[in-house]
Amino acid sequence: MSGNTFPGRRGTNSNPFSGSTLSGESEQTSLGPISKVMEEEENDTVTSPATASFNFAGKGSSTFGSPFGGDASGQGPPSSFKQSSTDGFPAHYGMGRRTSVSAESLNPTASSNDNWTPPFHRKTPDQITRLKKSIFNNFLFSHLDDEQSSQILGALVEKPIPAKGIKVITQGDQGDFFYVVEKGIFEIYVNPAGSLQPGPDGLGKKVATIEPGGSFGELALMYNAPRAATVMSAEPGCLLWALDRITFRRILMDSTFQRRRLYESFLEEVPLLSTLTKYERSKIADALETQKYPAGTTIIQEGDVGEAFYLLESGEAEVYKKGTPNPVKHYTKGDYFGELALLNDAPRAASVVSKTEVKVATLGKDGFQRLLGPVESIMRRTKYEPGVEVIDPLHKK
Amino acid sequence: MAATALLQTTTTGRVGGPSSTTPSQNAPPTAEQKDKDNMAAAQPQTAEEGKQFVARYSDQQHPLPPSEIQQDPRNKDLGRTSRGLSVRDFELVRTLGTGTFARVWLVRLANPAEEDQEKVYALKVLRKVEVIKLKQVDHVNHERSVLADVAGHPFITTLITSFSDHDSLYMLLDYCPGGEVFSYLRKAKRFDEHTARFYAAEIVLILEFLHESEGVAYRDLKPENLLLDAEGHIKLVDFGFAKRLGNRETYTLCGTPEYLAPEVIQSMGHTTAVDWWALGILIYEFLTGYPPFWNSNPIEIYKQIVSKPVLFPTEPAISPEAKDIIRQFCTVDRSHRLGNISGRAERVKSHPFFRGVYWDDVYYRKYRGPIIPPVRYPGDAQCFDQYPDEKAEREPYDDAMKKQWDDHFKDF
Repeated sequence: MSGNTFPGRRGTNSNPFSGSTLSGESEQTSLGPISKVMEEEENDTVTSPATASFNFAGKGSSTFGSPFGGDASGQGPPSSFKQSSTDGFPAHYGMGRRTSVSAESLNPTASSNDNWTPPFHRKTPDQITRLKKSIFNNFLFSHLDDEQSSQILGALVEKPIPAKGIKVITQGDQGDFFYVVEKGIFEIYVNPAGSLQPGPDGLGKKVATIEPGGSFGELALMYNAPRAATVMSAEPGCLLWALDRITFRRILMDSTFQRRRLYESFLEEVPLLSTLTKYERSKIADALETQKYPAGTTIIQEGDVGEAFYLLESGEAEVYKKGTPNPVKHYTKGDYFGELALLNDAPRAASVVSKTEVKVATLGKDGFQRLLGPVESIMRRTKYEPGVEVIDPLHKK
Repeated sequence: MAATALLQTTTTGRVGGPSSTTPSQNAPPTAEQKDKDNMAAAQPQTAEEGKQFVARYSDQQHPLPPSEIQQDPRNKDLGRTSRGLSVRDFELVRTLGTGTFARVWLVRLANPAEEDQEKVYALKVLRKVEVIKLKQVDHVNHERSVLADVAGHPFITTLITSFSDHDSLYMLLDYCPGGEVFSYLRKAKRFDEHTARFYAAEIVLILEFLHESEGVAYRDLKPENLLLDAEGHIKLVDFGFAKRLGNRETYTLCGTPEYLAPEVIQSMGHTTAVDWWALGILIYEFLTGYPPFWNSNPIEIYKQIVSKPVLFPTEPAISPEAKDIIRQFCTVDRSHRLGNISGRAERVKSHPFFRGVYWDDVYYRKYRGPIIPPVRYPGDAQCFDQYPDEKAEREPYDDAMKKQWDDHFKDF
């Protein structure tokens, strides 16, 4: 058929969607386009290179075409077609409709009225070490910061499983908890029916055992889904650590939410960024990376080319200039420095050294430009106040 | 009804370029428009008014520029509550789709006026008990309010009105007779690049509008939620997870496993950037027939999403431009993700994958759909799968629940 554009044929001056623009001189009448489209559509299935990808085994006739006016009684919906083979498809790929999943909606504590604080259950240093080893390789925990990690460790609660044969989770049931094995052995059973069945074989097949340090039920930390297996204690005197979804999600949400608001309020204070819209500030806040430095670290060095700017999230830092033994300025939480690096490649006008352990949020010039475009054009929105140069010792004279 | 309305747009709405299809942008509202505004404020109160309003709907649509969708008086009365309407004012023809707590019916007006006999609609029915049990009360309210706000966009399903009764919530939508893109994709196994590009382009315009004009994240992009209208253009449906974000991130995990963005899986707070990730997955699935990350065990899918790069099969061959746009969408770091970086949707539109696309022509539906659904008459539903009947026994919505929850449903 004419004008159909396929990979390899694109790049000529043709229409990227097959050159069938209906505008302009090809203005249509109310019935015209349909019949016309239909004809071409039929034609398409015969001669178009699309045939390969629209080749339905078991149906020799047209693909999407020809039902108009014809006897379509034998036609089912498009997906009623059963594939005779799955050539080129991954084995076992489920071809059915996929269901959406959703957790309960939660609002950050800081934006609501309740005073939620994460539960805290004391643990011995040994227990903490073992738990860290168990969970922080898991992809649901591996990206947590120190504060989140320690809250999670505190929130894990002891769950003794005194006897053998106790089902901790049951296949097919709703799941709300994630478990880490502290002591004892557990067995995993899967019944192909999808849920625990009555009768002696109702557990299904034993597929694995879990030993101390192992964990199970992590999907429950994401949303409420039916358990995929039954997990049962294999000996008496077992001990688990349990964490429920709401606690897990709230810990992550509250700390992320607070940090984001903190960053946004810091950014509002930076005169260089005063012309940013709220949307842009939240974009930057989203991209800021947290870094920690021990006391005595030179965070930026006088004379170096500036590439990033910093917000001081916690701790204290001091500003030194060459030839002056004492700090010329003192930074505390909420202060920012190095932001002129966003504007030009001038060398740093001073050094900033951490006085205590500090936590900074930082973003490079690259990242800034990637997210918001050239800094210069943002600056041009209003004139950058020259007064800042006096306040900021890092500005190149 | 969508099919008839669309035929009309082809004859009336397509003369000349964008500007000629719309009223002058700066002209003050005419007296007639003001009247419509005033009328719009009065919601239909009786069943008869409600039915008349519903019947009138079909004459109303042709694409307006995105900036005018919200202002246009013709859209103002769309998506409002009709206190007088009830399910008895409709004849339920057949089921078009089912979800975890909803069922969508093809309906027509009960005892229609002669000229309205051909008019059909899609009625989404949500059971209050299920909505509450699945903790989706917030989500259904977001769905109703977002749909009401975006009514009039050419590629988004139109919420005509909503109403409720003792145990159910109802959303009356335009009927999209072409069925799901999912069905065509599974039948075809995969789409060629021009087909994929056509749908991707229409989706880019949807996302640009939702994100940049409305501040809405859609959060459930997948072939199952894309319908085709009679002409083969996209209609995005199921706004069950759509949410107005403003400039804030949001935290509730939702979506479809294969399409979840890494930041959703890892509870890092997410934004409209999740939709661009999902568009990358979608284009991949269009071109190969399956998503890049999949497993029968959802946890394994999530592990791959957060840690594995998108890999392409050798067969079918995928063009470098397509691979590049997929990789740029499916970038774990949001500060590098196409669509989320500077330029936003504009940057997406200028990607080589869309080289040569005239975006105004996409918006005004001037490109012909690559698949023309076999729709024989306005109420033809052969493009939809058959679904089993509803279970007869239903958990009752009792007085205690009503007392606790009905206030949450007052917007319906």
